[in-house]
Amino acid sequence: MPDTEVKNTSEQKELKVIKPKEKLFSKKNKRTLTDPLSDNNPITLQVLGICSALAVTVQFNTALVMSAAVIFVLAISNVTISILRNKIPSKIRIIVELAVVATLVILVDQILKAYLYDISKRLSVFVGLIITNCIILGRAEAFALQNKPWPSLLDGLGNGLGYAAILMVVATGREILGSGSFFGLRLIPESFYAAGYENIGLMVLSPGAFILLGLIIWGQRMISKKFEES
Amino acid sequence: MHKNSYVLFFAASVTIVCSILLASGAILLKERQQENIALDMSKNIIEVAGLIEQGKDITRQDILGLYDEYIKSKVLDLNGNEVEDRNASDLNPKYDRDLLPLYYCQKNGEIDSYIIPISGKGLWSTIYGYLALEPDAITVKGITFYKHGETPGLGGEIEKDWFKDNFKGKKILSPEGDLISISVVKGKVSERVSAEEAYHYVDGISGSTLTGKGLTQFLKKDLIRYEPFFKQVRKREME
Repeated sequence: MPDTEVKNTSEQKELKVIKPKEKLFSKKNKRTLTDPLSDNNPITLQVLGICSALAVTVQFNTALVMSAAVIFVLAISNVTISILRNKIPSKIRIIVELAVVATLVILVDQILKAYLYDISKRLSVFVGLIITNCIILGRAEAFALQNKPWPSLLDGLGNGLGYAAILMVVATGREILGSGSFFGLRLIPESFYAAGYENIGLMVLSPGAFILLGLIIWGQRMISKKFEES
Repeated sequence: MHKNSYVLFFAASVTIVCSILLASGAILLKERQQENIALDMSKNIIEVAGLIEQGKDITRQDILGLYDEYIKSKVLDLNGNEVEDRNASDLNPKYDRDLLPLYYCQKNGEIDSYIIPISGKGLWSTIYGYLALEPDAITVKGITFYKHGETPGLGGEIEKDWFKDNFKGKKILSPEGDLISISVVKGKVSERVSAEEAYHYVDGISGSTLTGKGLTQFLKKDLIRYEPFFKQVRKREME
């Protein structure tokens, strides 16, 4: 039956050629990018990466730089791990993931120290703590190890942006309520203070972020009607 | 499953690639980082000397320009005498324990302020800063902190303007001429100490009593080290 065998392989070849290449922005890929922004937000739905979200949101500009750092690390680490996904021995995969993430984070920290010294001073240890941010290792484990580099990049960007979005909202709230300013600019006029208005000191401290974040999570779950029920 | 030899090989390659990346990053950026640190210290010195407004953003050139124009430095020994052959900028606190850097701001040939570096333990970290004294070597002109690891919002408040402004006009000497230094009280000065003594005390930060305690201690310790020199200054002022 050599004939049929030849036929079979040629058919297979044809099939391979015919099978359309997945588009860069197919529906599935788009969902990979946009899901973490709302329906599957790493902070509000999965409640990951809370520690840094609480710490760096006193002011808007620190939150912005922190978000950029996380997006950068998350995207590159996802791509790197995805490229290596068939090469990484499963026994040491967590160590390899951590090494990749730690390298990127240290590089980011060094770059901030060289080019944005003031902000890096204000972010202090929290840039270094991106290494332990659960979102990053979580995405590497849950997504990058099973997917190709392009979707992994989208997943990294999506989750990074989802994280950033929440940080921005919390930071805006905290800066306005806690310091009466936005982006370092005075927002609430002096006359308000003269009339007895006071900044809410609680908002400058971590519990303020905790309360705001809780309200955001509550609000989002009310709207999306996604609850974790036992 | 991968063989053990492959696992070892893979781990070694990852290590090598990561370390090459980090090492080259560190080498490439080192110069700029050190420049930033030096610039930040210069900025703090001109800030404490009152040459620029606190907390205002200012360009590199302006910082360096003001620094070069007004700030001079020298090195003192523990008796308050000048050490000629050393430079304040290359003192190493680790080895040069007996030498003290002194910065001073000079306007039109006259001394406008003396600036000394201060440092010591707060609650969590070592706090670094500068203290500026008026030419009388008694009155505080300003204080600034450029490096610390205190809790943001609590001990971290030491770098806020309201706290630093507290120090202005306070005196380190008693009327009898003894070194008292300046202490951070727990709470408000007006509620804690009598009016005659108020000029040796500043308001504390609620929630960070221990940072204040540390600050009080190391401020005194540093002022004692510089006291022989300031004694000479006061003597010259009297004449």
